[in-house]
Amino acid sequence: MSLTNKITVYLGRKPDFLKEVLLQDDGSGPYIKEWNITSEKAKPTDSQLNALASEATKLGNNNVIRKTRKKSYGDIGDQLDLLYKDMLAGKGDSTGEWFKKIKAVKDANAKE
Amino acid sequence: MSKTTIPKGGITADAIDGTLIADDAISEEHLDATAITGTTALAETPSSTDELLISDGGTLKRIDFSHIFNTPSFGVKLSSNQALTDGTLTKITWDSELWDTDSAFASNKFTVPSGKAGKYYFTTMGYTDGQDDGEHFFLAFYKNGSRIFREVGWTAPSTNTGMRAMASVTLNLSAGDYIEVYGYQNEGSNRDISSDYAQFSGHKLVGV
Repeated sequence: MSLTNKITVYLGRKPDFLKEVLLQDDGSGPYIKEWNITSEKAKPTDSQLNALASEATKLGNNNVIRKTRKKSYGDIGDQLDLLYKDMLAGKGDSTGEWFKKIKAVKDANAKE
Repeated sequence: MSKTTIPKGGITADAIDGTLIADDAISEEHLDATAITGTTALAETPSSTDELLISDGGTLKRIDFSHIFNTPSFGVKLSSNQALTDGTLTKITWDSELWDTDSAFASNKFTVPSGKAGKYYFTTMGYTDGQDDGEHFFLAFYKNGSRIFREVGWTAPSTNTGMRAMASVTLNLSAGDYIEVYGYQNEGSNRDISSDYAQFSGHKLVGV
């Protein structure tokens, strides 16, 4: 699992990985090059980060699912068009086509 | 000064040498353009040890072409795609040399050879796909292990897209200085930088 996810779990938020926390990989794996948010939380040790491995894996998996869902939802303009048609047909609720499509995508790509 | 009578049969080869002509006795008015136009044309790029005759502050000197070539010069690429770690500046492992005039590229970096200090121009490019939601992709130059902020960052639109990045820089370098390239992307998982587009090249500038 990625170091970015471990750090995100450690902080409880995703930091700016170009300013707040800088990671580098010189060919032997990623490591923390700069930790610029000591005032918020101390730079974690390797053991602290490794202890968060399962949560980080879950976060990573859910990120993949989120991206898959987004791609499957389709173009936002097409979705609005579908919503408009549903409302025009008096189906602006869970009986509409837009809702059915979104639900099908979510069901097929359940988060952990 | 008395004139010398040229012997019958003319002057033999190499008969006129330093013992017969005073220093600086031959000036431009005694030379004809055929001294150049009458000789065999090289008709190709001179080799680095070919020489020119120049006036260096009024003194004639010979100079090797190596001093006016844009060398050292190198070009490298990837032989296969390389994964860029999510949210991490990842060193690009250039493993295929296109050219390397001074054997100055090794271990993923260009190192200025001894006696070759000066200004150098570097350029690099790459491509990755699957970026969206304002994610970034860029290539960064590192000098002696530290990032130099000369790159241009690219930001992805909302939908998945392939992104190309280019960066170039001119640096004043000393012998032993070395230059590397790192790639960055933050798609959320590892993404490849494509070997089809990735290249890193550089050469010494002359006259600046």
